Amino acid sequence: MHALKRFWRSLFDVRKGEFAVTALMSLYLMLVLFAYYILKPVSRAAFLNKFDIDKLPWLYILIASIGGLLAYLYTKVAIQTSLKRAIDFATIFCVAVLVLFWWLLQTKMGWVAWAFNIWVSLFSVMLVSQGWLVAANVFSSREAKRLYGILGVGSVIGAAFGGQFTAVMVYYLGKTEDQANSRLVLASAGIVILSYIAYRLAVKQSGKNLGRAKGAEQEEDFSFGDILNSVRRLRHLQIIIAIIMITFMVDVMVEYQFSAFAKQAYHGRNLTAFLANFYGFWLNLVTFVLQLFLTSFVVSRFGVGGTLQIMPVAIAAASLGSLLAPSLLSTGATRLTEASTRYSFNKTGMELLYLPLPLELRNRVKAFVDVFVDRFGRGVGGMLLLLLPLNAQQFSIVVLILAGIWILLSIVAQREYLATIRKRLELRRLDFDSSRITVSDPATIAMLERTARGDNPRQAAYAMELLSQSANYDAGPLLSELAGSPHSAVRATVFEVARNTQNKTLMDAALAEIRNVREPDASRAAPEAVRYAIAMSDEPVEIARRLLEHANPRIPASTLDALATRPELASQVATDDWLKAAAADVSPARRALAAQAIGVRARTETGENGTLFRLLNDPDPAVAEQAIRTVGATANRELSAAVIRSLASARLRGPAIDALAQFGPKIAGTLGDVLEDESVPLTVRRYIPRVLQRIADQRSVDVLVRALPTKDLTLRAAVLKALNKLRDAAPKLEYQAKMFVDQVMDEAKYYLELHASLSPLKSCKSPSSATCLLTRTLDTRLRATLERLFRLLGLRYPPQQMYAAYRAIDKRGTEEYTAAVDFLDNVLDRELKRALLPLLDEDAILVQHARDMFQIQVRDIPAALRSLIHSGDRWLAACAIAASAELKLSELAADVREVGASSGREIADVARSAEAALA
Amino acid sequence: MSELSIVEKVIALEAVDLFKDLRSNQLARIASIATETAFSPGAVILDQTKSLDALYVILDGTVEIATPEGASTNASQNDVLGAWALFDAEPLNATARALDDVKLLRIGRDDFYDLLSDNMEITASVFSTLVKRFRRLVEQR
Repeated sequence: MHALKRFWRSLFDVRKGEFAVTALMSLYLMLVLFAYYILKPVSRAAFLNKFDIDKLPWLYILIASIGGLLAYLYTKVAIQTSLKRAIDFATIFCVAVLVLFWWLLQTKMGWVAWAFNIWVSLFSVMLVSQGWLVAANVFSSREAKRLYGILGVGSVIGAAFGGQFTAVMVYYLGKTEDQANSRLVLASAGIVILSYIAYRLAVKQSGKNLGRAKGAEQEEDFSFGDILNSVRRLRHLQIIIAIIMITFMVDVMVEYQFSAFAKQAYHGRNLTAFLANFYGFWLNLVTFVLQLFLTSFVVSRFGVGGTLQIMPVAIAAASLGSLLAPSLLSTGATRLTEASTRYSFNKTGMELLYLPLPLELRNRVKAFVDVFVDRFGRGVGGMLLLLLPLNAQQFSIVVLILAGIWILLSIVAQREYLATIRKRLELRRLDFDSSRITVSDPATIAMLERTARGDNPRQAAYAMELLSQSANYDAGPLLSELAGSPHSAVRATVFEVARNTQNKTLMDAALAEIRNVREPDASRAAPEAVRYAIAMSDEPVEIARRLLEHANPRIPASTLDALATRPELASQVATDDWLKAAAADVSPARRALAAQAIGVRARTETGENGTLFRLLNDPDPAVAEQAIRTVGATANRELSAAVIRSLASARLRGPAIDALAQFGPKIAGTLGDVLEDESVPLTVRRYIPRVLQRIADQRSVDVLVRALPTKDLTLRAAVLKALNKLRDAAPKLEYQAKMFVDQVMDEAKYYLELHASLSPLKSCKSPSSATCLLTRTLDTRLRATLERLFRLLGLRYPPQQMYAAYRAIDKRGTEEYTAAVDFLDNVLDRELKRALLPLLDEDAILVQHARDMFQIQVRDIPAALRSLIHSGDRWLAACAIAASAELKLSELAADVREVGASSGREIADVARSAEAALA
Repeated sequence: MSELSIVEKVIALEAVDLFKDLRSNQLARIASIATETAFSPGAVILDQTKSLDALYVILDGTVEIATPEGASTNASQNDVLGAWALFDAEPLNATARALDDVKLLRIGRDDFYDLLSDNMEITASVFSTLVKRFRRLVEQR
């Protein structure tokens, strides 16, 4: 009974809250497959009824080339848009094209059968593949491992019903074959509409926003050069590509043989009904049975190589039958064997073969295979059918030869697979979690077990984690064994895995781990042992209370961490009395615990703001830091002001930024008020943009844009940096065009003002003079202004392009510089061009631009210094005052006095010594 | 002699190799934590037995730096004493002594750390200079 339950759960492990969305997703896929398995037999039968069998290879080649190209182009377009839009578009488009074919099929024109077959191959990419993409976005990869079986059942039922529906209705839906075909196509259009309704309901039920998902599988970009390099380098890849090529060449040949005999045996509606039965019902049924009951057994028994060998061995055996006794029965059996083993054993085996490759390379190779290799294989198969002077029966010899090569490749594949796994395991670069299949290959499992028992603690912990991801693996015995490992990293992983797998047998080991912890032991195992003990104990409150009083501060802290996931226990453990005592304790570690406990209790309790406020202002920074983290974790608005004040402290700034960012968009307004409040110290205001850039919301952008015109250049640069970061993270937010142009104009004017002041001072000779320091400072300011301008442009135009242009304009006189100016000239709007491009001209012309654009007049040295002294920029003013004294410009004495009297101590000091020199 | 203004301190700091990539307004921040200090002839400025807690920039005068092995060298205006002291509290393996009236600019390690934690750009620039210096040392070996 227990075994049956476990088996049932391994098939259909649907958890609370997942039923409705799983059912609707299954219905959606069922309907899509229903429609597809109407179209597939109808299209193929329409072709075979109309043309001789010798035209079929041409159809394969056309589907591989034109169909492949259309599918590739569609994927490229779809990836630019959201999944939601792609599905909307694909549904409307498919329905429209199906209605078109409903009409065309009645016209009896020859080319329609060709076009219809190519279109059906595209339909599979548009709706079937996209259906699975929806599933990938609706479910996480962990959920997928549990729920894809059910979705698979839905799709198999859809395909079987589609086939059966076609096989029956082709006789009733019209007087002629063409009429019946066209009406079946119309029926499939109706089913596509029904599938769309199911899809909308499923997505609504899941609460997921597909508007943010890509409209096609995000395939890695690849270049032929890169892939060929990788293929040359990695034997593993050579084998993958060779196997896939052979798989599809054989696919085409076997289908050809089957079609030839089917055409001989059936004609007209009978052929449609036969193909519908064969593909829709029998093929799907056999594949389903193999996948559900045999694949995982075969993988766990025979490993990757064995799994991969089943398909060629079975095909070889079946083809021998086709060769010796050619008939519809033998070729049908071969076709059934070929397609069903390809969809079950071979698909799983190939997924496993990909697995040890680095994730990025894996994705690139998959993209390459999807786009080129499978179509190329089919194309080559089609060419062989055309070129080899063999009849349908004799092609069994070619299939047998290919199957022989394939078997040899599968043997090599097993060896390469293990070698690559071993190499990647040593580097700890295996990524099983990203895969949607379960690793149960016995050789891999054995290797992981050996590594978990090995001497390298990091590799051992890593192997343990990987084993825990293998759903059918019973980790219990290994966990018990490794709980006594001398390596704390391994023991930590053991407790973590045991907790996740609800293994209760390690309680004694966990308590021993906690008992033996010694300060300042940095062991990772003790905190994990605490989490395990609380999670697995039958008396969690009792055990947590005891651990909360442990002498090593890491144990109570870990206890509170553990309680964070079980808030119902928190108040029973960290009681009011405990909290009061801990918050007033002389030990900073206890006070920090109190701050942490408030956060844990806050999930169920309220009203500890007074205590938390005191802890926020604790003289010990570790206590204040923990209090800040608690405010962030609980998004406690009442205490946000105290956290904002902490931005002034270098020690607390990091946690304060993290905590404020955790509030999310609702804190943006408050932060905006602080950012613009000039009475707040600059040391606080300067870090507000760092918080806002972490909150990718329109409110953050609005607040930052409003603060852009601030006079303080450091603050303005910080605001711009934050906006640039937000643009990177959330390009779709609105960056207020009007304000943007005004700001560019202001920066341009400021640039020309600075330049007008710099021009007369450039003749300074002594580098250690105040005048030269001033010119260097002005030069720095000019560069910073240009940087701000380009940062502004990066808010409206592609940031990478603007950054490249900014780097290039620093190389005056080079081709890069000229190219950058040309680029800006072509790309920028007229208004922006008029503001920016003049700034990139030669110095001599800049003076003229300053006059024409902003009426800034040429200045002599006293006028330039006077303007800088009154500029409001404190550092520039200090340098200008010192330069005035150095140049003995007594006419500036009054200006120096005036600014010195109204400025801070440092400028006042400079002004005082300048006044003395000018007197 | 009157106290240096911030502008004069910045001009002095511009000559310090460790700060050469900093902008003048960033140097102004360092100048704001730099204090002037004076030593009479013969006074010990850095003691080889004591750990360092500050960097010194010579504004005026000459300083003799002598190692326990007997080697010595002189440092003068714009030279820096104890540049590594900002990052390492270990004693200098030499004694620095004023040969005449010496005026120095002192930057305390704690103040400098506070400044670095508040100014990422300064931190990045100082680290960049240190890395270049380290690379040069490696290449010379």
